Amino acid sequence: MPYEFEEILETIKMSEIEHFDIRTVTMGISLRDCSDRNISVTTQKIFEKIMRYGSRHVENAREIERRYGITITNKRISITPISIVGDAFGVDEFLLIAETLDKAATEIGIDYIAGYSALVQKGWTNGEYNLMKSIPQAMALTKKVCSSINIGSTKAGINIDAINLMAEVIKETAERTKENDSIGCAKIVVFCNAVEDNPFVAGAFHGVSEPEVTLNVGISGPGVVLEAIRSAGFVDMQALAELIKKTVFKITRAGELIGRKVAEKNNVPFGIVDISLAPTPAEGDSIGDILIAMGVEDVGAPGTTAALALLNDCVKKAGLMASSSVGGMSGAFIPVSEDQAMIRAVERGHLTLEKLEAMTAVCSVGLDMIAVAGDTPASTIAGIIADEAAIGVINDKTTAVRIIPAYGKKVGDYVNYGGLLGRAPIMPVSLLSSAKFVGRGGRIPAPVRSLTN
Amino acid sequence: MKLSDDKIREIVLEAIDTLGEKATPDTVRKVVEEKLSSSIEINDSKKDLSSGRVILTSFGKNTTGIVSTISSCLSNNNCDILDISQKIMQEFFTMIMMIDISNSKKDFKEIQEELSKISEQIKVKIYLQHEDVFKYMHRI
Repeated sequence: MPYEFEEILETIKMSEIEHFDIRTVTMGISLRDCSDRNISVTTQKIFEKIMRYGSRHVENAREIERRYGITITNKRISITPISIVGDAFGVDEFLLIAETLDKAATEIGIDYIAGYSALVQKGWTNGEYNLMKSIPQAMALTKKVCSSINIGSTKAGINIDAINLMAEVIKETAERTKENDSIGCAKIVVFCNAVEDNPFVAGAFHGVSEPEVTLNVGISGPGVVLEAIRSAGFVDMQALAELIKKTVFKITRAGELIGRKVAEKNNVPFGIVDISLAPTPAEGDSIGDILIAMGVEDVGAPGTTAALALLNDCVKKAGLMASSSVGGMSGAFIPVSEDQAMIRAVERGHLTLEKLEAMTAVCSVGLDMIAVAGDTPASTIAGIIADEAAIGVINDKTTAVRIIPAYGKKVGDYVNYGGLLGRAPIMPVSLLSSAKFVGRGGRIPAPVRSLTN
Repeated sequence: MKLSDDKIREIVLEAIDTLGEKATPDTVRKVVEEKLSSSIEINDSKKDLSSGRVILTSFGKNTTGIVSTISSCLSNNNCDILDISQKIMQEFFTMIMMIDISNSKKDFKEIQEELSKISEQIKVKIYLQHEDVFKYMHRI
């Protein structure tokens, strides 16, 4: 037998017991050729192109799933930032595009399509402004469309005007979707240093330097890492690091295999593997539990940031070895509502917004799926986004904010979405005002580290 | 059948190229039908370059006849058993087989369905996975 008994059982244990899955196979489709001055021609072209490449996406992914015995949780589609396709359009036309995207996603049978996006780190065009203005209505009108806006980068600095606008957009979206716990906000990501090949929704889009069509994969598997740490017992840091690396290596290899096979089946080129550890609301499939297993009493205890940094670094090192096409975010995600241990830590008062912010400096992405009181002022949300963007700009990394100012809710309440989005307790926010600072507007200039040439 | 605008345009241009001046409604129909059927063939061809080796893992409470039930099902379906390894751990039966399904008339999915029927009958879990997943995870 070319494989050991234990090796085969290990793989089966990972997928059957420890929730190892491929989190997403995301097909990126360029829509740049769908632009037309007539809106109905544009929407028709968009619909046809998405259907042309994506109609068999779900079916093909299911077949690969069966063949290798590894679940692919989500099959999704990302598209060119739609502001580029519709730069000549106004708010009403963008809404028609949003409806078209929703229709295409329904037809294909996927839960989300992402790329209702604009890149405005240095400033916006008229079309981009209209797109941002249309987001609240678009999020209320559609179920499957996700939006992301890049408001800062290490090379361009931080666009405070865009942050202010997005803070208003988020507040308005919360109000327009108040019947469903402001779910619209769970579909909006405000980015700094956004990556072009991210397969993870809601922040995915098919970047302008990407090819016509490509297939990106996001792996998962916090449960596998958790089990490995638990069974290792009380070992020192180096041994812990080694253990995490070995485990992540194996799951990344499986991710790469599945990605390549789904791409082959769809007859599109394979893009990247995003080696992020992404939790789900399922018990045990949690980043928070990994941190606790590493030794902190609860998420938020002193040492949490260091534990997360160790974890994140090991994930990257192992992933780099395992795949020659690592991309996307590639780190550990710490969304609050999607991770049982994080939810518990917030409920007990162990994890605050400020500690989360510190944690985002050492892991991928940022303040993700954070619910705050509905009466949080837009200027405070703008301040939170600006802080997160500053971490991204100065450390040359991607950061993001997905915040839900849940309409009509206050600290102690919950938002509950079910499914992968999970549920989140409303977190307290500092009552000090940021209005005078963000109210200055303009753009924070690019930092010294942008001058690398 | 749904065809995109681009595809229709492509077929039309190819038909014009082939027929040139001599086109009559009948010849046009013939050429278009040929082009259509050739483009459908490409879509439906199920090319699979990877090997036909799959790994069957089964475990459950030990009873008599597990190996024989599984292996006779495999031989009925023309699957070749390349290697077999079996252990009893306490009361639990564990078996791993490497099989070649490339000579089978049935495809992977159909064999998997056959095995899942047996799995319910003899009350052991049976997993069928393509070899590549183990190769990727445990071999560099």
